[in-house]
Amino acid sequence: MPVPVVEFSDERLANGLRLIVAQDHLAPVVAVNVWYNVGSKHEVEGKTGFAHLFEHVMFQGSANVGKAEHMALVQAAGGTLNGTTWLDRTNYFETLPSHQLELAIWLEADRMGTLLDALSQENLDNQREVVKNEKRWSYDNRPYGTWNEKLLGHLFPHEHPYHHPTIGSMEDLDAASLDDVKDFFRTWYAPNNAVLSVVGDCDPAQVRAWAERYFGPIPANPALPPLPDMSLPAIIGEERREVVEDRVPLSRVYVGFRAPVFGDRRLDALDLAAQLLAGGKGSRLHRRLVREERLAQDVAVFTLPFIGGASVCVGWATVRPGVDVAAVEAAYLEELEKLAAEAPTDDELARAKALTEADELGALARVEERADRLSMYATLFDDPGLVNTLLQRYLSVTTEQIRDAARTVFRADNRVVLTYVPMPADGAGTDAEHEVAA
Amino acid sequence: MSARGLIMERPVPGQPRPYEFPPTERTTLGNGLRVIVTPMPGRGLIAASLAIRAGASDEPHELGGATVLAARALTEGTEVRDAIELTEAAERLGASIHAEAGWDATSVGLDVPATRLEPALALLAEVVRRPAFPPSEVERLRDERLTDLLQAKADPRRRADEAYVSSIYGEASPYHRPAGGTAETVGRLTADDLRAVHGRAYSPDRAALVVAGDVDPAEVARIAEALFGDWAAVGVGDRGAVDDTSAVDRRFVRVIHRPGAVQTEIRIGHPGLPRLHPDFHALSVMSAILGGLFNSRLNMNLREEKGYTYGAGAGFDLRRGRGPFTARAAVNTEATVPALSEFLAELDRIRQAPVTDAELAAARDYLVGVFPLRFETPGPVAGSLAGLFVHDLPDDELARYRPAIEAVTADDVQRVAREHIRPDAAAIVLVGDHDQFGAALETAAFAAAVEVIRDETPGTKGPLGAADDEVGPVDGREGGPADGADDPGLPGTDEPADPGDDPDAVLDGDGHGA
Repeated sequence: MPVPVVEFSDERLANGLRLIVAQDHLAPVVAVNVWYNVGSKHEVEGKTGFAHLFEHVMFQGSANVGKAEHMALVQAAGGTLNGTTWLDRTNYFETLPSHQLELAIWLEADRMGTLLDALSQENLDNQREVVKNEKRWSYDNRPYGTWNEKLLGHLFPHEHPYHHPTIGSMEDLDAASLDDVKDFFRTWYAPNNAVLSVVGDCDPAQVRAWAERYFGPIPANPALPPLPDMSLPAIIGEERREVVEDRVPLSRVYVGFRAPVFGDRRLDALDLAAQLLAGGKGSRLHRRLVREERLAQDVAVFTLPFIGGASVCVGWATVRPGVDVAAVEAAYLEELEKLAAEAPTDDELARAKALTEADELGALARVEERADRLSMYATLFDDPGLVNTLLQRYLSVTTEQIRDAARTVFRADNRVVLTYVPMPADGAGTDAEHEVAA
Repeated sequence: MSARGLIMERPVPGQPRPYEFPPTERTTLGNGLRVIVTPMPGRGLIAASLAIRAGASDEPHELGGATVLAARALTEGTEVRDAIELTEAAERLGASIHAEAGWDATSVGLDVPATRLEPALALLAEVVRRPAFPPSEVERLRDERLTDLLQAKADPRRRADEAYVSSIYGEASPYHRPAGGTAETVGRLTADDLRAVHGRAYSPDRAALVVAGDVDPAEVARIAEALFGDWAAVGVGDRGAVDDTSAVDRRFVRVIHRPGAVQTEIRIGHPGLPRLHPDFHALSVMSAILGGLFNSRLNMNLREEKGYTYGAGAGFDLRRGRGPFTARAAVNTEATVPALSEFLAELDRIRQAPVTDAELAAARDYLVGVFPLRFETPGPVAGSLAGLFVHDLPDDELARYRPAIEAVTADDVQRVAREHIRPDAAAIVLVGDHDQFGAALETAAFAAAVEVIRDETPGTKGPLGAADDEVGPVDGREGGPADGADDPGLPGTDEPADPGDDPDAVLDGDGHGA
């Protein structure tokens, strides 16, 4: 069952806004998706977490929309919405019954054009507290919650834009000012730094007319700053290890590696390697560590694809009670090294591909996901057509390419090992370490 | 900065395209198995699910967790092949089989490309009808569950959820314990116990095969007959009523002390309502206004005005018996007592005065409008239909949903709030650093007494020696896929993915507060 081809139009308004439209009339729903080419990698020292805090401010109102009214209007229209920030991007999206499409286009245009009209210290302070509570909830008050920050800190050198996590640090969030918001908005939130994708039950000519009407008057920023050089060596050059005491009942070993950038075919091969190492019951790590030797409660391997310098490949094994942590790490690494030494079987690869294909079929069935992919591929690769070709790339990966990708990445001198261990019994009450920024 | 030519006027909606829930064909095999098929042209990934009216609320206390464990063990080997062979066979089809049980139902489901539906359903039939329950695999699953309970205790959210349900239900109620059982009950389970669940409860006359996607109903009926036609019913009787006795007769506060915690997990409420209740639609609207929408009263107050939390919400977990009504948030430690005051004030306010016309319209319009979005793809369609079957709801329940929501009035909302929310007889359960807020909590005097429970530090107990009937749920959201699937607008409590897998979002999940 091939994944249906997505037919789309791709053009730019005079102010540089890239507009991508794909029709699909199966259901009376439509997705609107805006990617801004700005993420936490654009933050400088002392301002970590700002891109994400800014994303929250985008829901605090603009010239013609009140605080939190964006959500109210979309939900009352029968829609769903969200915004997310990540290292390479910030995106905003709504899915609505198709007769409400114009509302979403207007809402996105109003905040792209007039956010600063509504900006207030009170709203910034409120969202600062919300984001600090998001950080506490998602990271600080959660078992093993610091792994992401620690891993990025070890994988990327201090001066690299991926060194710090998107959520940032408490002290930098505290320091964010109204001037920071204004500068950030004027620099990055310009139509020539954005992609607008509309997918679903729509008339493309009508979408084009609305985009022109609502976004057309917003001026471009002629001076978009270039990104700093993000290149870095393909491997770390040494093994880095850290033992972390946390309020956890079970030890857990995280193993992370630098990996090829998003878009590099070797990362496609590594994604399939992750699937056959830890994607489900039949996978190698699950079979050996969880089922046969019963060393681990659970195992994982996955990639975090980034475009600047290196991606991340990371995984973990949660150590079962009474089992030696070192034995789990050794068995885990042995399976990775085995894959680097010897190509997987044709059957393993065929199963990994069949699952990948079915997952893709399911994901692309939703207009929201299709719109996000079009925006993503346009923003990161200037090639929205990847929505139709990326799966074929995955399906053409060979067993030898998987072995070679594993050999390139799964090296001792390219490895970070974070070992979380239970806090000593008398160490209760030292969550303080969680509050320290990287 | 001026608007510089931007259009100030809000667009008005266009003409809505008519939407009806897709036509669904229902047949019954000779052995009583219901076959429910929803053709969705163009949807090449098919969702199939076998739902069985057998849930954790059907089991006696001493076998707590047997139904959940039996479901998980289905894919651990059959009379024909072992777990690995089974997994590999499914993967070659591009399918993975998920077997789960919740309070009300057991469900075995898969997503598979349409061209491979028949062999995938054959595997599904094999795990449902011929599971082997190999003792060594059952022991491993049991140990994994016991270890999971240790982890639950260290996770503030799961700790709060389990402490909350054990606080609001009487000890004889199954809802007092996690659906997956406690360390005490799970530790005793054997392969024979799971086989007994299978023999007693898995029967075609209490099951439905639901299939949605680009399929031909006649073809699915033919496959169903071939795979399930000779499945003999075991003659189970009616399900008894669930003991959902409340343990909350007045307001009380229970604190799980977690030294150094930077947030307090708050749960407030009491047993709520069963899914089958005449107030269902009014309750859906009321819940959306109180704590379901992003712009709900709780979220606007605690998040958008006060900044105490990343998200505050409230809702009813509708089960066969009275599932919990819960108001919830995680707030920074210093905000614990002020946040409780706001929660209690909002629970009072929705009872004391009618909601505004604007609030009523927003909630109704959301619940009605989001309906076609929910059913864009086969998975949620199959899930909803399975939910109707599990609760024995009429076939036209989904067709009636939108008119019934539109008919809800402000008086209805106030009436159901007054009848079904009881802030004066609610448990307040907190997981946080009592040293930081204990004094303020005393002063606030929300209840006559505050009980403080001090957990032992995780990691200091032996792995399996932690027998303790206050251990946490299997998952944040216990129910199988059938639970609540037909309840648009009632906020769930799905845990988001592990941080780091996902970017930081401005809203939590699909827009509901935490």
